[in-house]
Amino acid sequence: MQEVQLMEIFAYGFVQRAMLAGSLISVLCSVLGVFLVLRRMSLIGDGLAHVTFGSAAMALAMKLYSASSLLISIPVVLLSSLGILKLTEKGRLSGDTAIGIVSAAGIAAGIILASIGGGYNVDLLSYLFGNILSITFEEVCIAVVLFVVVMVMLLLFYNDLVAVTLSEELAKVSGVPTRLISSVLVCLTALSVVLAMKLVGIMLITALLVIPAASALQIARSFKTCVLLAGMQGGVSVLAGIVISFQFNLPTSASVVVLNLALFMVACLVRRLRVTESNS
Amino acid sequence: MPREVVRTENLSCSYTGSMVLDRINVVVNAGDYVGVVGPNGSGKSTFIKALLGLCSLSGGGITLFGTPQASFKEWGRIGYLPQSLAMQNALFPATVAETVALGLLSGKRFPRKILSQDRDKVEQTLALLGVDALRNKLIGELSGGQQQRVFLARALVNDPELLILDEPTAALDPETRERFYGLIGDLNRTRGTTLLLVTHDTGVIGGYASKMLYLDKSVLFYGSFDQFCHSSEMSALFGSQSQHIICHRH
Amino acid sequence: MKLWIKCSVICALLVFIVSGCARQDEKNKRNTAGSGLRIVTTLFPLYDFSRAIIGDKGTVVMLVPPGMEPHSFEPRPDDVARISKSSLFIYTNRYMEPWADRIVKGIASPQLIVVNAGEGLTYLESTGNAHEKHDHAEDHKHQHSAVYDPHVWLDFGNAVKMVANITKAITAADPGNRQYYENNAATLKKRLEDMDKRYSKGLADCSSRLIMHGGHYTFGYMAHRYKLDYRSLSGVSSESEPSAAKMAKMVRQIKTSGVRYLFAEEMLSPRISETIATETGASVLKLHGAHNIAADEFNKGTTFFDLMDGNLKVLQKGLGCREK
Repeated sequence: MQEVQLMEIFAYGFVQRAMLAGSLISVLCSVLGVFLVLRRMSLIGDGLAHVTFGSAAMALAMKLYSASSLLISIPVVLLSSLGILKLTEKGRLSGDTAIGIVSAAGIAAGIILASIGGGYNVDLLSYLFGNILSITFEEVCIAVVLFVVVMVMLLLFYNDLVAVTLSEELAKVSGVPTRLISSVLVCLTALSVVLAMKLVGIMLITALLVIPAASALQIARSFKTCVLLAGMQGGVSVLAGIVISFQFNLPTSASVVVLNLALFMVACLVRRLRVTESNS
Repeated sequence: MPREVVRTENLSCSYTGSMVLDRINVVVNAGDYVGVVGPNGSGKSTFIKALLGLCSLSGGGITLFGTPQASFKEWGRIGYLPQSLAMQNALFPATVAETVALGLLSGKRFPRKILSQDRDKVEQTLALLGVDALRNKLIGELSGGQQQRVFLARALVNDPELLILDEPTAALDPETRERFYGLIGDLNRTRGTTLLLVTHDTGVIGGYASKMLYLDKSVLFYGSFDQFCHSSEMSALFGSQSQHIICHRH
Repeated sequence: MKLWIKCSVICALLVFIVSGCARQDEKNKRNTAGSGLRIVTTLFPLYDFSRAIIGDKGTVVMLVPPGMEPHSFEPRPDDVARISKSSLFIYTNRYMEPWADRIVKGIASPQLIVVNAGEGLTYLESTGNAHEKHDHAEDHKHQHSAVYDPHVWLDFGNAVKMVANITKAITAADPGNRQYYENNAATLKKRLEDMDKRYSKGLADCSSRLIMHGGHYTFGYMAHRYKLDYRSLSGVSSESEPSAAKMAKMVRQIKTSGVRYLFAEEMLSPRISETIATETGASVLKLHGAHNIAADEFNKGTTFFDLMDGNLKVLQKGLGCREK
């Protein structure tokens, strides 16, 4: 069913923007995801996405639309991410429990506020189902800025992040400001979720924060390669996913996710083969 | 005048209402090899954690290298090997080299980067602990003893003046344990590294440490091993039979 | 400590918003004065027709709040309570409100009259997905159970029949005022027929008969009645993600056909249409599907006819129609 020629698709502006913004977002999510998965916070993307939904409903109830709703969303989601961190520290809960609590709060608040504020309207739904194929030029700029910010922060704090992820105790005794580092990590995640969700939707964000990292963890032989592999899988899966969705007339976001799953299985297979190889 | 490395004054610490440490007064001087012993739940680990700022105090003060603990920043002078570093995640993707290199962070200011000259230091420390052949292996793939050595390497990579070890030999077999004690004993002798070692092995540590700190929520004894052996209080506590065994192990 | 403060602030904010907006909710129950029949309708066209028919002899309430996207509407407990306390519950058809049957079964109120306003109408299949109306017989690749287009009210002939169904039910509930209701219905019918004539005339001579819609399959019935070629990007369900290939296809179709206008639906996100417009250099015009209506329009008293007259103007502009 080849109604569209492969080379043709690159000529479309919306495809170019999807590929550019999409791959930048997926690389930054994949890289952040490595640290999140190792800290057992894999579902934080999902949780923060629910909070974003709640905050968008709040903004709507306060009659703030589109870009101005970010005035509400960004602070609320940032605070929630710090709240999750606080719950894990003071509340003696594990990461996934804290996330579950905050996530449920977010979606419940969203549903209540939405039903009061006049229902799921245009803006709210478009938040949940942001579409990678309808990214505007301004949104590409947002993706670029977000990418630069996240990458610069990760580079500056790379060793600190590795140390804290490995052992918070040891990191503290090494003089690493562990509270600050953890806060930086969750805040970067929060920022990425809020901004990127509008661009590529909730399904893609949560998948990109988890699956590339999980795949890389199967086969990486050092922390550095782990981060690189995860980033590569994120980028490649978006680019290839867009092309595949064209070829086979499939929904794009879902294609990207399925591709990630396939790559994960390949990684598991490689790991399995390595193990049997070393045993024989 | 011996240089003070650690001083605590009336250190008290409580967890959920019950007093875990009660007015501890201890001074550790440079070059000391202190064995910290006591029964289970006596607060030994808490004492260590308090020194390192990992546990909040309910009273008293701690001075490290002459600086109050709260404002102490020269973490490069201290190496720490925590208890049971059971790899929370066997899949943790750091290599031995990467893990040991993290120890260098304590000597750095922001942004903390590992530079190429640092690699030499890492190599040396790996060689010192005999784990250089494992440098590219993932830490999750190592045996307990090997992991222990890697984390010791991490603690040592910055040439710390004070090395704090919390039950380091708990999971090791006797042979590995011997080698371990030999290694850190060397550090104490040749480099003058101050050692603070928490252990269950009251008998074994006696043979190595220069001082014994017996804790059971408060300080029951602090002095040299000889003093320990001649102390009537310790006889009363252990019973002279056990004391005899501990002191005449060698 | 900080956590408590944050929690209290958020709770306070929520309470503030809740109480503030609860007042808003009351305004939405636009009562026509007095007692009499209490009617609950689901969508806006039914609401508008019902209030015209019942006049001052009853009250009409719209279940789906103004501004809300009706395809994702889920009735709340007080909605169900409201229905059970009313005399008539009017819904559009089985395809539009699949939840209607469920709700009605759960209501044990014997005097409630449930009205399927779309009964007896001819339902067209949704042929969406930017390809021509297909013939099941020759196109075996598309072996699927037929998906029917629920947007029947956009064909004014259907609207007339819906008015008749509603009138019948209202009259059955309150036979005493039969003459009054039937007079109102007749007026309404005439207005619909006049509008139909305006549409036929207004859309008779157009430079293009192609409606490209970067959204869901909404305007099938309208296009069918006035012999326009309607292509939409997605099918009937409002949740489906448009595929990249279909978007590219629509872009090509727009470029080859040379149409200068592309349509989007009011109250839904125009993002996809805007993306296609950017790609092709076309401009986006908005058509109103009339499922529901924005809150401020509702409060102003905008009618179905206002919306449809607006649509006619938009169509005339978009298709380049010449007024005789």
